Amino acid sequence: MTERRRTLVLALLPLAFLLLMSILPLLRLLQEGQGQFSLGLLADSYLQWRIVWSLLQAAASCVAALLVGLPLAWCLARYRFAGRSLTLRLLMLPFVMPTLVAGMGVLALFGPQGLLGINLQDTPWLLLYGNLFFNLPLVIRAACEGLSQVPASRIAAARTLGATSWRVFWRVEWPAVRPWLWSALCLVFLYCFSGFGLALLLGGQRYATVEVEIYQLVAYELNLADAGALALLMLLVTGAMATLYAWLERRLASPLKVDPLPPRPPQGAQWLHLLAALAVLLLFGGLPLLAVLWRAMQALWLLGPTVLADEDVRLAVYNSARFSALAVLLAAGLGCLHALAARTSLALRALAFLPFIVSPVCLAFGLLLLYPQWTASLALLLATYALLAYPFVARSLAGALDSLPPHWPQAARSLGASPLHTFTRVLWPLLQPAFRRGLAFAAATALGEFAVTLFLSRPEWLTLTTLIYQRLGRPGPDNAALAMLLSAVLMLLALLAFVAIEWPSATERQLEKES
Amino acid sequence: MQLFKTTTLLAALLAASLVNAAELRVLTHSSFAVSKPLLAEFEKQNGVKLSIIKAGDAGEMVNKLILTRANPIADVVYGIDNTLIGKAAAADVLLPMTDKGAAVSLPGAVSIDYGYVTLNYDKAWFAKKQLPLPKTLDDLTRPAYKDLLVVENPATSSPGLAFLLSTISAMGETKAMAFWGKLRDNGVKVSKGWTEAYYTDFSRNGGARPIVVSYATSPAAEVFYSKEKLTASPTGNLLLPGAVFQQVEGAALVKGGKEAALARKFVEFLRSDAVQKDIPTTMWMYPVQPGIALDPVFQHAEKPTAHTTPDSRQIAAKTTAWVGKWTRIVLKSGQ
Amino acid sequence: MLQLDAVSKRFGDKLVADRLSLQLAEGEVLALLGPSGGGKSTLLKMIAGLEPLDSGRILFAGQDLAAVPVEQRGFALMFQDFALFPHLDVLGNVCFGLRERGMARPAAQQQARACLQQMGLAGMEARKVWTLSGGEQQRVALARALVTAPRLLLLDEPFSSLDADLRRQLQLEFRQQLQRQHMPAILVTHDREEAFALADRVAVLKDGRIVQCASPAQLLAAPATPWLARFIGYENVLEDGVVPEQALCLGADQPLAQVQGIIQLADGVRVTVASLEGPLTLTLSARELARYGGNLQVGGTLAVGIDRSAMLRYASA
Repeated sequence: MTERRRTLVLALLPLAFLLLMSILPLLRLLQEGQGQFSLGLLADSYLQWRIVWSLLQAAASCVAALLVGLPLAWCLARYRFAGRSLTLRLLMLPFVMPTLVAGMGVLALFGPQGLLGINLQDTPWLLLYGNLFFNLPLVIRAACEGLSQVPASRIAAARTLGATSWRVFWRVEWPAVRPWLWSALCLVFLYCFSGFGLALLLGGQRYATVEVEIYQLVAYELNLADAGALALLMLLVTGAMATLYAWLERRLASPLKVDPLPPRPPQGAQWLHLLAALAVLLLFGGLPLLAVLWRAMQALWLLGPTVLADEDVRLAVYNSARFSALAVLLAAGLGCLHALAARTSLALRALAFLPFIVSPVCLAFGLLLLYPQWTASLALLLATYALLAYPFVARSLAGALDSLPPHWPQAARSLGASPLHTFTRVLWPLLQPAFRRGLAFAAATALGEFAVTLFLSRPEWLTLTTLIYQRLGRPGPDNAALAMLLSAVLMLLALLAFVAIEWPSATERQLEKES
Repeated sequence: MQLFKTTTLLAALLAASLVNAAELRVLTHSSFAVSKPLLAEFEKQNGVKLSIIKAGDAGEMVNKLILTRANPIADVVYGIDNTLIGKAAAADVLLPMTDKGAAVSLPGAVSIDYGYVTLNYDKAWFAKKQLPLPKTLDDLTRPAYKDLLVVENPATSSPGLAFLLSTISAMGETKAMAFWGKLRDNGVKVSKGWTEAYYTDFSRNGGARPIVVSYATSPAAEVFYSKEKLTASPTGNLLLPGAVFQQVEGAALVKGGKEAALARKFVEFLRSDAVQKDIPTTMWMYPVQPGIALDPVFQHAEKPTAHTTPDSRQIAAKTTAWVGKWTRIVLKSGQ
Repeated sequence: MLQLDAVSKRFGDKLVADRLSLQLAEGEVLALLGPSGGGKSTLLKMIAGLEPLDSGRILFAGQDLAAVPVEQRGFALMFQDFALFPHLDVLGNVCFGLRERGMARPAAQQQARACLQQMGLAGMEARKVWTLSGGEQQRVALARALVTAPRLLLLDEPFSSLDADLRRQLQLEFRQQLQRQHMPAILVTHDREEAFALADRVAVLKDGRIVQCASPAQLLAAPATPWLARFIGYENVLEDGVVPEQALCLGADQPLAQVQGIIQLADGVRVTVASLEGPLTLTLSARELARYGGNLQVGGTLAVGIDRSAMLRYASA
């Protein structure tokens, strides 16, 4: 079998899945608009404001993440302190947090009757803060990665040539970190621009984004023509951003193995820098989660622990676990196939981004329109979960495959291992951490999904996210308290996924260091 | 081997969850709250399993019905009201039904209950500030009442839409939109839905706004749900001219649904004395069946004698345009 | 034993092997010597079965290997970076090939331990491979290859990642190992010292062709081309032959050449002159310097000639 044909065979299933589950539904939605989009839509000052604000908040989030994230990353990369490696690991935490949990945390802090006594509702700050919670760690990790690519010798050389440490940063470290930052900022923009959950919860009526506008147009006004036009516009912007990202990422693809500057214990005023950095990190990354925990404890006190044995709660936990498990199972298969196929095809690699960039709201409505006989069917709900979750597996595996030296499988073959044995005894053990990581992300995605669930779910398929959203919409302090408590439960489940990701064995830790 | 077992188990679970018993699928909005024993009684008497599908706000519910008309997700729908019935009729998703003997009616469907959307105010707040209550809607645009009102977004909330419709019905479109422009300049706050407006923004519940768009029965509900014994409601109705909308909710069979006979029985069941008696203190609406005794707590609810409600055909024809205009006036750029 | 028969391979517009033929005798160690990036490693991978040929045949013991998959060839390939499996410990790595060839675990472990012992790696069985030093990794990789008793050992720059002292020591050990086991081997290297030290025969590759294949002594005595002479380290390479140090004559009767550069050595000087034959480089010992040097300085002259009878003539390739 030729390389091309093998790629095609491997890609067949994921491609068919992508076609049926995302491309066709989107086309169907656009068709429902009967192609009546006109640019006249863009002349409407209200929609103009929505679009401008969507772009503006994404750009502002990028700038803020850069300004706050870069000094933080520098402190984390260059200072050694107790708990440093734990801090670096915890940076991963927001990635697995469902938007609902983050949104609840931000509201608990800065919402009406917030813990800090500052009500930022109906201001742009709430959404920007939420954006930073998710995206600051992304920028910090990328910058740390970039800083670790600067060889210690290069910094030493600059110092001996007479540069102060500030000049070293500008002339040696910054140019090296820059490409990593650009690619991270691309992702930040993408996430902020196309994010739905956070904007719905935190944007309020005036600072909602285009994505929320699409949701309202479809769900409340049934104005599919305008929704379709806006969705197309979104797709253009996110598609361009995703392409830019894929291009930037490829340039980072083969980092050289270098000896980075080892972190040093801070001295004198450096302690202040470090403490300030950690405080800022806590403010953006930790506080919302702590607020959820705190409010959940209060709720537990108010409602008593028996509330967790409530029929609805039990059903929701059971369904969340069940659906996530099934979705992860599907995602595992699709992800493996896609990753193997994408090894030789850049186009396939880019396609793995598709489920990230399509609006889940549009997707859900497209599915409703395309498969009316399957609406309110579990198979469709699970397939949609799998669609949203599998790119994590595919991307994680593809990355691991890229960084795997070809010598390992070749050595195994020359020592007498058949292709199958080479896979099971050498490739698989080496890929397994990446696979597990992908699965954990997939599980976290399925657990936290709620945009699509809002449309495709049925009452008996109550999940934690839908139950939280339901209780948020019901009157009374008891419901609000339960929503908070359930958010904490969801957070703990996501934490489990996080532990699965960030608890590698000694071998894996070393492998991470090596690669 | 382990993986195989897990897979089998999961597959079995999946299969189990795909099988459904014979059932009647009831689509409702999320405020549906008929007492569980009553529903159980219906299931027992008719040998059927009720599957209650709550599809969010009433508007969302109707849209879902329209989008899934090729293969309806329910057999019978409850909670469709006079703001939505026209839209549903135009999309031809309901089997037209006739209705007899109700206090108020809903064209094309069986009316079940009705109520009034109007302004509520926080009595304690007004007493403390010694501010006289507004007498007309225009008072709300005066500086004395700046930043006091919270309304729901008519695009995403039924009471929000009802309130907008009542202002348009009273003043006519042009004047009403001008009025809303003045309200915006006077700091009206817009919330996504009734829960947000009533439970976070209304000063009675810890918010900063002493006037809220709610229901005429809300003061009675305040007394009913209060933890201490109250002799008077802490909130009151502000039945200003042009600010009262009569909402009629009903039920109908879904076109293309199954179990038509059972569905009819369910609609009859909603009109039965037991359910009609249950409705006032669970959903805070008035029963349409005459001669149903109300709970004494309803003495705290002032039933409006007049209202400004457009007819449902007009609502169906104009709502989208009106809401669009409202959005551009009240939520427009730079705000 | 091994025979390459008009093997050709092309990567894009780069010719890796151009109708290349080669033979390896039983128990023979052959070095493939060539400039870096000349496709030597690819040739090794083609022999191992990891790269397909464009044309030509590779035979082992008379059998055409075209249809024989990598794992059934019974060759062991040792990589430049050693390619030790990071998820296995030292013992696991050495056992790998034995287990793949169907040996039961206890027997495989016993044999692997014995092999490690022989390589001076006793006691390291449970070590993680990344905790080993470069020399230890090299020995583990060699043990992993040798323990399976391959029909042919293929080595890709096996010593290039080690420092000079360690390299010399391990090369010696390696040579003894191979001789003891009488194992045929092909060694790819860009280092002529290594090729001369380890191989029975050296094949010098350029642009996908073998320029010359001979024993180290033959190669030094009669290089095939001026390029090859320069490549294996001769400095005074002329059109008609190579001028070794002993063919350079000093003394007043020799023609004068202008001195262009002088480098001080520990026991003499190295002088570059422009002679009538072309530029020449020669090393003068302290004694010769005293005798012939006069006041040697850049821009001055030195009497130096060539004894044509002592020149090395190019072998017809």
